[in-house]
Amino acid sequence: MNRVVAIARNTLREVARERVALILALFGAGLVGVSLVVSPLALGEGRKVVTDFGLAGASALATLLAIVLGSSLLHKELDRRTILAVMAKPIRRSEFLLGKYAGLWTSAAALLAGMVAITVALLAATSRDVPWEASGALLLSMAELLIVTAVVIFFSSFTTPLLTAFFCASTLLAGHFAEDLHYFGTHGASPLLAAATEAVYWLLPHLEVFNARGLVVHGEAVGPERLAFAGAYAALYAGALLAAGAAIFERRDFR
Amino acid sequence: MSLSAIPARWRVLAPFLAAAVLLAAAGAFQAALWPRIGRAPGEELLYFPSGLFARQASIGYETAAADVAWLRGIQYYGEHRLTDQKYVRIGHVMSVVTDLDPRFLAPYVFGAFVLAQELHRPDDGLALLEKGRRANPDSWLLAFETGFLHYVCRHDYESASRYFVRAARLPGHPEYVDRFAAFASQRAGNRGMAVLLWKRVLATGNQYMQEVARRELARLDAEERAR
Repeated sequence: MNRVVAIARNTLREVARERVALILALFGAGLVGVSLVVSPLALGEGRKVVTDFGLAGASALATLLAIVLGSSLLHKELDRRTILAVMAKPIRRSEFLLGKYAGLWTSAAALLAGMVAITVALLAATSRDVPWEASGALLLSMAELLIVTAVVIFFSSFTTPLLTAFFCASTLLAGHFAEDLHYFGTHGASPLLAAATEAVYWLLPHLEVFNARGLVVHGEAVGPERLAFAGAYAALYAGALLAAGAAIFERRDFR
Repeated sequence: MSLSAIPARWRVLAPFLAAAVLLAAAGAFQAALWPRIGRAPGEELLYFPSGLFARQASIGYETAAADVAWLRGIQYYGEHRLTDQKYVRIGHVMSVVTDLDPRFLAPYVFGAFVLAQELHRPDDGLALLEKGRRANPDSWLLAFETGFLHYVCRHDYESASRYFVRAARLPGHPEYVDRFAAFASQRAGNRGMAVLLWKRVLATGNQYMQEVARRELARLDAEERAR
């Protein structure tokens, strides 16, 4: 466990060097700018608009960070041959992969939490009302990041950074359409196509589980059952991807 | 003249200068010609997608996409209010906004108000409110606005009274809804009731709705004086 934590810490430091704080500062400035410009134009709906843009921007930027930084995380170690020095120590490849995953998730989750905190602070300052419901959306987005980072680590365990980024973006996009795919596949399609669609449906991550922004912007809290379900689903799905990724990475030739 | 004759500092700066000059030229070109060429009348918002497509394309960010469409709709209304006062696409835009975020109440209220009051299409306005009430059955606001349109636009006082009573039975309604529910049946067709309703719009509506309320109150006042 200590070995995994050490790798995760090192990954955190590596991500921090990529000027994540700058993203936070830009996000904060951007959100303040949007709220100043948009609020008077929104005919009394400024608070909703700022909440929407804040939560959507935070989730999108954290996902983007996980894909962009994560897709080259393993590749850099292989390219610079630093992985050989790490592997010379008593550490298993699966532990190395898990450490990278934990570090990447912590970085993306911390960035997400920072951006949601900026949104909440701005809303509290402008309307003197703290939107506590945003914590539900934050927890669900953190759970979603468990899957996003697992997808990134899974693909980067066997392919190049460019292909990793492409496969991740495609998987996440398809994950948002999983329900539609299931609906169209099971309504009027041939039995063979219906079976194939059903298989793809269960294989894809069901990312709509983690989207409660629509509830939160209308002032409703996310229920504990949904949070528990989303957390358990994310843990199981991410666990499956990491297990598969570790199995592939164990067999990878570093030469 | 060979490139080596140019001082090194200028050679570094030259591409940036060229970029700045080209960018300025593009801006000047657009400023000079676009107003003359411009978009054809009615072309604006033609690209606006259907609600179903917009919902699919927003990949989990439907409510933020609804806000963008809402802001675009208000901008469209504001531009035409200052010019030709034709708002032919406002119904479509508000329909897209409400497809993206069915719980966003402002577009139902504002869209129905503009359709009924400015475009003189109260049935389309009532249809938008009906869509809103199906998605938000507990909203007193949408029931109250339905009653309002029945009263001031269709002069259907029986329906208006029914919707005011319905609004008064829904949770979270303010005190004035009870008063309108009580008065509506007694004062059906009464000018004083219409004045009260428009004064309520003046107190609670957005800036555009307040402008229409001022106009309607002035009209009712002029009618009263003419008698």
